[in-house]
Parts: sequence; C-alpha cells; structure tokens
Amino acid sequence: MSLLEAQGIVAGYGAAEQILKGAGLRVEPGEIVTIIGPNGAGKSTLLKVVAGLVPMAEGRLVLDGRDVSSADAIGRARAGLAFMPQERNVFGAMTVAENLDVSGFLEPKAAKARAEAIYARYPVLAAKRRALARTLSGGQRQILGLAMALMTEPKILLLDEPSAGLSPKAADELFAAIVDLNRSGLAVLMVEQHALEALAISTRGYLLVAGRNAAEGRGPDLAEDPEIRRLFLGGA
Amino acid sequence: MMSAFAQAVLNGIMNGALLAVPAVGFTMIFAVLRYPNFAIAAYISTGALAGWVANTWLGVGALPALVVAFAAAGLVGVAVEEAALARLRPSGALTVAIASIAANLVVENMLRFGFGNDLRGYDLPLRPDFRIAGLRIGPQAVETFLLAAVVMAVLFLFLRFARLGRAMRAVADNPDLARLKGISPRRVAMVAVFLGAGLAGGGGVLLGLDTAIDPLTGYRVLLSVFAAAVLGGLGSIPGAVVGALSIGLAEEVAMLAIPATYRSAIGFAAILLILTFRPRGLLGERAV
Repeated sequence: MSLLEAQGIVAGYGAAEQILKGAGLRVEPGEIVTIIGPNGAGKSTLLKVVAGLVPMAEGRLVLDGRDVSSADAIGRARAGLAFMPQERNVFGAMTVAENLDVSGFLEPKAAKARAEAIYARYPVLAAKRRALARTLSGGQRQILGLAMALMTEPKILLLDEPSAGLSPKAADELFAAIVDLNRSGLAVLMVEQHALEALAISTRGYLLVAGRNAAEGRGPDLAEDPEIRRLFLGGA
Repeated sequence: MMSAFAQAVLNGIMNGALLAVPAVGFTMIFAVLRYPNFAIAAYISTGALAGWVANTWLGVGALPALVVAFAAAGLVGVAVEEAALARLRPSGALTVAIASIAANLVVENMLRFGFGNDLRGYDLPLRPDFRIAGLRIGPQAVETFLLAAVVMAVLFLFLRFARLGRAMRAVADNPDLARLKGISPRRVAMVAVFLGAGLAGGGGVLLGLDTAIDPLTGYRVLLSVFAAAVLGGLGSIPGAVVGALSIGLAEEVAMLAIPATYRSAIGFAAILLILTFRPRGLLGERAV
C-alpha cells in the first residue's frame, strides 16, 4: 500500500482555467519523490492541493490508506502530512523557539520534547532560539521551516522548492538535511528548481507538463535522460 | 507656564492610558482579520454601559465592572462578527470596514433604545486630588492608569506565553502557514474579536470612571483610538500603546495653544502626518 496516492487531480485557482488536468502520483514509505517540469506545469499547485491549501475540483487523495480528499489542511496535518511552502515558511515576527512551539500546536504535550530533539539535530537553531525568525539567514530560515514541519512528527514531508534563493553551500546543506531525514524513515515529496541535484537524491521522479503527468521513473534515470535534460533541465 | 505644561503632560499620559486599551483591541482585530473594525466604538459604549449596570445596579466596584464590561462587549463583538461581518470577508477589507460602520450604528442605536441618551456616571466615592510638586492628580485617574497598565500587562503575557496567544500571533503573521500547523484561523479570529471587543469594552469602563457616559461614548473617542492604532502601526500591539500615549499627550499639550473645540483635529493631523511620512506607523513591523 502506498503511503500517499493522488489520482486524477484537477485543480486551479478560482474561475481561471484549471492548472492541474488529471495529474497523479504516489509515494511509497521511505521514498524521496521529486516532481520536475517546466514553469507553469503545476508542480507547486500539486503540492498545495495535496497539502489542502488549494481545493481540488476532481480527484482522490489517499494518505496511509485513509481517503483524505475532503479533509482540509488541518485535517491532513492531523493525518500525518507536513508541508513546507516555498516562501513565507516561518513566522517572521516570532522567535525560533516560538516558531517551533506554535508548530507543535496539534500536540502541545509533546512539543517541548520534540523541540529539544530538533535543537539536538540542528544546533544552529539551538544557538538562535531567541532570535526573531526574520533575522535568520536564508539557509537558517529553511532549516527552521524544515524543523517546524517536523514538529508534528509527520509520515510524509512535502517541500516546495526548498533550495530557492539559497547559496550553493546552503543548498547542499539543505539537501544533506533532507537525505538525513529520509534515512531516519521519513518519506519526502518535493518540487525543486535544482532538478538534477534533487533527482540525484530521489528514489523516483515525475515529470509534469501542462498539468499532466508526462513521464515517471527512478530519480537518477530521469536525471540522465537526454530528452529530459535537453527539454527541461538546460543540459545537453 | 512650565507648570501648566507639566500638568498637560501628566494629563496626557493618563489620557493616553485610557485610549491604549481600546486602541489595542482595535489593532488586535486588525492584526488577525486584516480589516479596521469601526464597530469598536459601539463596543466601547457597550462596555461602558455594561460596567455601569454592574456598578450601579449590582453595586460592584470598578474591577468587577471591568470584567463584566469585557465579557459583555466581547460577546457583542462576536455576535456582530458572526451575524454580519464574517460573511462579508471574501468581498474584501473595504467592504467589511464599511459594514462595521453600519454595525456600529445598529449597536449604538440598540444601546440608545435600551438606555436612552442621558449622561450617566459610575457610583464611586468622590475623593480629593493629590498635589505633588504643584501638579494635580486625581486618585481615580491614578487607579484608571494602573488598571489600564494591568490589562495591557495581562494581554502581553497572554500573547507571549499562552498557547492560544501564540496561535493568534501566528495567524496574524501568516494565516496559511498557521493552518498547515493545525491552527484554525477561523477560531483564532473569533478569539481575537472577543478579546478586541472585550478590550474596547474595558476601555469603556475606564472612560466611565473618568467621565460621564452615554451610548455615544465610544463614538466620541473613535477618532483618537483609530489615530492611535494608525500612528503605532495597524496590527502592532506595542505600536497601539505608543500611539495612544502619543495621541493622549498631543491632545492635552495642544490644548495649551488651541481651543478645546479643535481637540479632534489632533487625531486627524496625526493620521495625515503618519500616512504621509511613515505609512507603516511607528512600530508597524512587529505584531507583538
């Protein structure tokens, strides 16, 4: 049984033309799955639909054997799904400690112990626990966003372009952190602008074009596919 | 002249403390729901009259009257939000702001229907003013100032350390992200409206301790309250306190130079100046 299965997703924003026109994907336990595709393909929209931030007009979403198609974002968070948006993924006017605390809203009794475990995993956050989130560097902010997503101990982590705007060094550190989390058993579904790097660490990947699935395969295979490299990754 | 100025400064601080409580209520609602709720004037009057009922009918002191006023105005605020304003939110902030003006008129007239237009005063013992270094200070004003300070301190602690308080700040900062963390913006909005309207009602009692009240008590201070919130930065709670103290001071000090009939011009001038030179207000970036 797949951990996450999205079938025939049709969705968009308001009255405009639907952006997703029947896209689907699945994530098995322990996998890293990356969605790639050209601008406007609907990659981020698909993640937002799965997270419950954008409603779907058609389709079905099953999380860990449970149909969560009609659940809202809060219901999906309760069901074990965590989403780190591309932008504004921390509460800028709150301290690092407050960000972690408020991210444990669903299980307040466990929040303190989980925050301590996160400080042990990411010492940079421990050192900055009293700093306002908006004063952190880009890389530190992404680590905080990642840590906030972990406060619910999710079954699957959704990441929307986590390395966007980061320096190459900070992006490498972030990818290392994602791999580290995955090795501890957490499934990851992400959209990433650095598609080659993301596919290299992915179990599988999906190519999305104009709101539909165009290809699927093992991550490293997709990264090496000359057609994909030529069309979407800017490589030869 | 110097002592008149010092007296005006002292009065201004007292006046500012009075304005700060409803101004914080106003800005708290704005921070979470992102619209200016002008029905706050009616909530101030509701609180003032609810406190008056508790004080003169039930014989309770200022502090219990403050609690009664907080609860009454908070409930009226939630009822107005649920009955009228919440369903207009998808139409945008301007629509809700205009609707809040209409809601203000409705609640104000309901109060007028129930209590009439007579001026009323709280039943509290008259006490002589203190005189310190030539300055006159009323004991009631000092108590009112302290009550306002306690209310602000409790609110500050709630927003800093209470789980619900932090959730409110999270929704004010980023409602979508808050939802992803399992926080319901709708529920938090209701809490914010209850607290904001309740604070306005508490401010009504503080005004009632200082002066006579009627159903237009809130309307008379609305401009000053709005100016305080804008001056401090809409959505910023410390900003509302700073703004209220600034407006309170400016109103009292200006009376040394201009006739009292122009008092309301101070609020207009403050709004005009701040929007021209610093549109986000003095502390507009910090929600708490």
